[in-house]
Amino acid sequence: MAEQVIPTKKMPPGLQVENVDDRIMTLNVGPQHPGSGHMRIIVKIDGDYIVDADPDPGYVHRGEEKMAESRNYITNIPHLERPVIHDSCNILYPYVLGVEDLVGIEVPERAKYVRVIAAELNRCIYIQYWLAIYGIFLGHSTMFMWPAGDRELLIDLMEKITGARVTHAYFIPGGVRNDVPANFEDVCLRQVNYFEKRIKEYADIFYDNPILKARTEDTGVLSREDAIRLGTTGSVLRASGVDYDLRIKEPYDVYDELDVHTNVLKAGDSYARSKIPWLDMLESCNIIRQALEKMPKSGSIRTKLKPNPKGREDEVYRRVESGRGSAGCHIISRGKPEPYRLKLSVSSFRNLIALPYLLKGEKLGNMPAVYWSLNYWPVEADR
Amino acid sequence: MGTATGIIKALNSGIKHLAVKRFTLRYPEQKLKFVGDGYQFDPASGVAIAGLKGRHMLFHDHCTGCQLCSIACEGVAEAIAMVKVPDKWGQNAKSIMPQIDYGKCVFCGLCVDACPFYALYMSNDYELSSFTKEGLIYTPAQLQVKPQVQQDSELIIDKRGARHG
Repeated sequence: MAEQVIPTKKMPPGLQVENVDDRIMTLNVGPQHPGSGHMRIIVKIDGDYIVDADPDPGYVHRGEEKMAESRNYITNIPHLERPVIHDSCNILYPYVLGVEDLVGIEVPERAKYVRVIAAELNRCIYIQYWLAIYGIFLGHSTMFMWPAGDRELLIDLMEKITGARVTHAYFIPGGVRNDVPANFEDVCLRQVNYFEKRIKEYADIFYDNPILKARTEDTGVLSREDAIRLGTTGSVLRASGVDYDLRIKEPYDVYDELDVHTNVLKAGDSYARSKIPWLDMLESCNIIRQALEKMPKSGSIRTKLKPNPKGREDEVYRRVESGRGSAGCHIISRGKPEPYRLKLSVSSFRNLIALPYLLKGEKLGNMPAVYWSLNYWPVEADR
Repeated sequence: MGTATGIIKALNSGIKHLAVKRFTLRYPEQKLKFVGDGYQFDPASGVAIAGLKGRHMLFHDHCTGCQLCSIACEGVAEAIAMVKVPDKWGQNAKSIMPQIDYGKCVFCGLCVDACPFYALYMSNDYELSSFTKEGLIYTPAQLQVKPQVQQDSELIIDKRGARHG
């Protein structure tokens, strides 16, 4: 009997020579397949059941954090929003808040409201995109078309405010770059109201659809204790019954003046995780309407910043509630125009940690339903 | 029973949309209307004016060749190069003006924010595709041309839904 050769060199995951089992098969999902995004899930299956799953992110690592060390606080803005272009305001928000702390400037009241409106619009834009992909993952092509179309309503609004449809580069330390156009309040209210009416129609076709429920309920159940223990954030945490939203727990800008409600579901399964973002969108519409009402009608929107601002010697950590969960930014400044070190703490990566636990024991066909319900964005996790 | 009514409700929700007007913008025939003439910056107040961040507009009679736009672009895209221009302008002693490579530009508008002389704006022109890489490099003479745009389609929301018209 020939002796088994065990390689001594450690190979990358998925490439090692493994003990061959008659029953267990290793399957690489991704990294090119659109069903996984730019990442790979190495799943071991026994027949149709997953016995082990190993997510392998890192294919779209861009070195955003290292790049930030050689650019000044303003020129960092366009590239720091690239990790999640669909949610570019929210991913930039903690950075801008952090730089404001370091440079020591006050933000005008009107700018804070404009920021909240832009951030909430952007949250809806991101969730619509995410929902469209979730729909097509489950083979529900209407749910791909509807969010992708209704998303245009809000993209048009963002384009009116910021001048760009996807990557806005709108927030700047000290406020926002330009004021909203004239007559914006009416246009925004009209479009947001119609948008809300539209997304309420998703209930009939998607969320109350018994076929979808049969597919997603009781798949990938994450208990409350596990959700806290694994460090998940955002919609994943709230779908497991933990009432934690940074807009309420650590209010930034004017969220403490607005009436914000969190949506919490107890089930912790894929269905609950897919429903929470939808409820968040309805809540965002409420927040936008409140902010439009309370926003000062005129006033400054940007505190003037020196051309090449230097941060004081300190470090700062700020976080916000993005479309996926908590997005944090840790900046260490050594008194130079560039940050000494910048670290983005993103929710996608934290939520991914739950994936191996959720997939164990599931059928392979349920993998997309579980994987995408984690509100995961591969580019954000790799940064 | 619940399953049957659920499926009928879902189907009904889709069928209702047969009567709803098409929301899609039929692009080359219809073009979306934007606010204003494009993204502009007012150095006096330090605040920009909302507008689409499209192709740049360069005003030769204002440009002093100070290279601030090029410096602003250094950390972002390095799309702006300062090149010699043949004509002489009083305010531009070195006769250099920005040339923009739209293969690199990310349309963030930080160059417009950097210009203190009202010389660089962004226009509503976003149709910049070209068959060659060289075709994407716009010289100061090309940037001077005011774009001819026919953008008049607006979003209409009524009882029958939203559409472009």
